[in-house]
This record gives sequence, structure tokens and C-alpha cells, in this order.
Amino acid sequence: MLLDFARLGPWRVALSLIALLVGAYLLLPILLIVALSFGSSQWLQFPPPGWTLRWYEDLFDDPEWIASFLTSFKIAAVVTVLSVGIGLMASFGLTRGTFRGRQALRALFLTPMILPVVVLAVALYAFFLRLHLNGTFLGFVLAHLVIALPFSIIAISNALERFDRDIETAAIVCGASPLEAKIRVTLPGIRLGLISAAIFSFLASWDEVVIAIFMASPDLQTLPVRIYGTLRQDLSPVIAAVSTLLIALTAALMAAAALLRKDDRS
Amino acid sequence: MSFLEIANISKTFGNVTAVSDVSLEIARGEFVTFLGPSGSGKSTTLYMIAGFFEPTRGDVRLEGRSILSEPSNKRNIGMVFQRYTLFPHLSVAENVAFPLRVRRRPAAEIAGKVEEMLALVRLESFAGRMPAQLSGGQQQRVALARALAYNPPLLLMDEPLSALDKKLREEIQDEIRRIHRQTGVTILYVTHDQEEALSLSDRIALFNHGKIEQLGKGRELYEAPRTRFVADFIGHSNFLDCTIARSHGGFADITLPDGSALERVAVHGDARAGGRGGLMIRPDRLRLSPLRGENGPGIDVVLSDATFIGETYHFVLTTGWGASVNMRMPASLARADDVTIGTNLRLHWEASDASLFGQ
Repeated sequence: MLLDFARLGPWRVALSLIALLVGAYLLLPILLIVALSFGSSQWLQFPPPGWTLRWYEDLFDDPEWIASFLTSFKIAAVVTVLSVGIGLMASFGLTRGTFRGRQALRALFLTPMILPVVVLAVALYAFFLRLHLNGTFLGFVLAHLVIALPFSIIAISNALERFDRDIETAAIVCGASPLEAKIRVTLPGIRLGLISAAIFSFLASWDEVVIAIFMASPDLQTLPVRIYGTLRQDLSPVIAAVSTLLIALTAALMAAAALLRKDDRS
Repeated sequence: MSFLEIANISKTFGNVTAVSDVSLEIARGEFVTFLGPSGSGKSTTLYMIAGFFEPTRGDVRLEGRSILSEPSNKRNIGMVFQRYTLFPHLSVAENVAFPLRVRRRPAAEIAGKVEEMLALVRLESFAGRMPAQLSGGQQQRVALARALAYNPPLLLMDEPLSALDKKLREEIQDEIRRIHRQTGVTILYVTHDQEEALSLSDRIALFNHGKIEQLGKGRELYEAPRTRFVADFIGHSNFLDCTIARSHGGFADITLPDGSALERVAVHGDARAGGRGGLMIRPDRLRLSPLRGENGPGIDVVLSDATFIGETYHFVLTTGWGASVNMRMPASLARADDVTIGTNLRLHWEASDASLFGQ
């Protein structure tokens, strides 16, 4: 290769330095939040004058934070199940179907990814007002499903396209009904696509804030909404503690997804 | 009553006719190969028997009963595919057990059958392996074991060896022949490779443009081809353009482009006096002088290429009017001065080894 790293000579040092700076630029805000969540200062002073777990205690003692955590988790879990289920059926239609307008339909399914979220949020808000769904659990789930579904469809259709259909046909010739062949052979064959669809659907709902602000009611607030609301009232280190937990869960899921992909290649 | 009866089946896709009025009767235990170039309808015919396509017309009867109304999974037919189709998430043993599991057979029976099948394909020690840990040849042997695990009366094989290299292909051909002898299963085999067809089958159905061009034992197709296509496809024959001077009772007198005449050449098909035809001579039935005597029919040629391929020499000879003729000769019979490019030689053959195809 023309730009082989080993042949760059003295430029290697410069390149490493730039890479390091970019990495730091991306990581430092996260590390800062994590450090502040363990800092003893009430005013988010940095560097922290001492270390404490007090903010985590406050967090777990506050029923409102716990309720928001559970709300977020429940919504994300239901969204995940629906998104993978519907995404699976849509993907079968999109990859196996031979009907006209298949490509147009695929593009339509993916529009929520390119549409500005705030446009989607306003539209859903106006629509749900008529259906009296704003501030309800169902409203949250339906709204987040719209943004989660494209992730599922991409992950599952890609897996289905890579899966050799003759393998499913072989199962049918072996005596399995078409449905049994899909359940016993095709689904295990595309399981990595299903798992990554689940992870990305969960995350799409879990850290979504714009639509959630429109959907939220005083009794039903997801974690990102409560963080945003609390921030506007006072700057408490509890927010840093919540953020750290959010980051930890997201990082864990992303790591799981990366491990799976690595597993798939080997 | 024949075991498998394919009666006048046709298949059209839109306005393209893939299979046109094919009929064939196969006896129990027979090994029949569908041979032909790609797009000749051989695979489409197999897929209609498997139930992947519904024939536009015609019927397929197994032991006298039409199977067309049954879906693939109820036909109880075994099949080995061109591509590797082992279930990637199941072990070798579980792959072989799969058809028995979907048939809800008792566990003890499944265990016994899996062992028997893996012994049949000589992969007993691979029972616990995953498909990705096997070579291509091993995967196709497991696929064969899986296809035979439920004792299907009929086994379909769709170019099962085309993904393998030559040496492995020959090895697995021997395995298939042995398994056919051992189990007595009726096999329908699709291939575009004439050597594979000749070495495996009891009978060959040679497909062309959606029809069976000729059906018979391999030797019959080779020695008594009914059409120029058959003669061309089996045995890489040479065809020399010629004019038919006289036609009489299955024989013809012909004139080659350089004016030389040949008398009493056996005629296949339609040959009218004054018409044009192709004189077929097999690459392995030719001789060159001055190596040998000069009796029988022949033409003057120039050696334009010689390739040594192990036990044989492959010669390309050019006739006086610029046509090429391929010829094979055992290397042990060739002398050094026979293989000098540019030498003028006389090419000749026994009258009984040449035949004429009208156009």
C-alpha cells in the first residue's frame, strides 16, 4: 500500500499523536462525567477534591430516578421485541419477495433514519394528540418503534441476504414444512443478525431523548428526559452518576455487538 | 410399470420454454444422469421432480402415483445440492439426524440411523464436528448421508461435485458408485460433465434446448450418436465440412473441401445428395502416417500444435483448407520426430470410425 504505516518514517510519530488527540477528544468528556460522578464536590468541581459513592446512594434512594430507569428499560425492552419481530417479517418480504416496488418499500422503511428526529417528534406528537397516546406507555413504544425499526431491517435483511437459501430448501426436502425449516434452520443461521438487530433497537430507544421529551408526561419520564429536566433545575452530581450508568450499559451492549461480529468472522 | 415415470412434462417461464415435452421412464435402482450444457433444461426437470417448480404440463409418477400435488417436504425424496447446504449451526451427527427429527422418530432409532449413515459415507469419526470444520468433499458426503437417512426411494443429485477440485471429484465419484451399489437407491443425477456422466450412470439422458436429445447407455451415446449435437457433446468429436455426392441406403459418398472423395460413409440422420454435411471423426480413433500403414480413408494435414498431458499426447492438425482436427495418441506410441510442429503428415482412420451428419 502507498500509505503503509510502516513506511511513513518520522511521520509515524505525528500520525500517532493526531490519532491520540482525536481519541482523547472523543473520550475525555465521557471520562470527565465518570470522574465527576465519583467526586465529592457538590458543584461538579474538577479535579474532584475527594472521592465518594454518595451520589449513587442518592440516586438509588430516589424513587423518581428508579421509576425513570424502569420506564426506560421497559419501553426499550418492548420496542426491542416488536422491532425484531416486525423487522424479521419485513426483511423476509424485502429479500425474498418478488413484488413490484420492493426497492421503494425498503427505502420507505429506512426514512426514519434520515428524517430529522425533531420533525418526526412533532409529527408524532400532533398525530398522537388525536389518538390520546401522548404520555402513555403505548405512545412511547410506538414512537420509539418508528426509529428502531430501520436498524432491525438493515441488520436482518443483510443477514438474510448472506444466508444461502438452498440451505432452507434442503431442510424442506428433508421433510420440514416451510415454517419449520425457517424456525429450525434459517433463524439459527441468521442469529447474529437478529442479536445485533435487538441490541441496536434497544439502544435506539434507550438513549433517545427528542421524541421522548414530546411524549413524556409528569408520571412517565424516561431516563434521558429526567436527566434533561433535572439539569434545567439544578446541577447535581446525581446526573453524572445517572449518565455513568447509561454509558456503562450502552458500552456493554456495544461491546457485545462487537464481540459477536468478531465471532462471526472466525 | 416403471418405478419413476416422467410423462410429457413441460415448463415455461413467461415466454421462455425451459423444458419441452420430456418423457422418461426409470427402473427401480437405476442410476440415470441428466447431461447437457447449461440452460438445456436438465436442472429444471430435476427441480420439477423435487417439487421446487410446478410443471406447466405433464405428470411425474412415482410407483404409479402422481407426486405433483404433494409439496417438496411430503415427497420423501432425498436431494444433494450443488452448493454446500449443511445446516451451519448443527453438528455433523445432528445434520444427519435432522430429517428423522422432523419425522418425530424415536431417539434410539435416530442414534442408530445416524451411526449407520456416517459409516456408509465413512465419516464416523466426524460426528461431533461442525460443518465449517469440514472440507468441501466431506461436506458433500455428510449431505449425502443426510439425504439417505430417511430411506428415500429416490435420490436427486444436482451437480454435487461441481464445487470440488478434479482429484476430489474422482474420489467422491467412486464413493457415490459404491453407495449406489450398497443401498440400491434409485438416483437421478444432473451434471454438465460428460466424463462424470459416463463413469457414474447406467443410462444418460442428454438434454439440449429443453428436450432429451438422446437417451441410452453411455457407450451407445458415444458409439451411435443420433444427432450431431450428441456426437459433439460426448467425446469432443471433430467435424469436417463436406458435400454429399451420393446417398444410398444409410451410406453416402462425400467430397471434402480440398476435392478428395470418400466413399460409403455411414449416415446419421438426414443426408440428401447435393446437401452439405459434417464428417465426424473421434480424436481417439485417428492415426498418423508415416507412423503406420496407409490403408483406409485419410487426408493430408500439417501438425500445428502438440501437448504432452501425461499418458497421452494431444495433437492439433490443420487440413489443407484450414480446418482444425483434434487427435489423441498414447504417449508410448509417439516418437520424437512425430511431434515436430510443421511436419506434413497423413491422417487416416478406419472407415467404420467415421460417420456423416446431414445438416
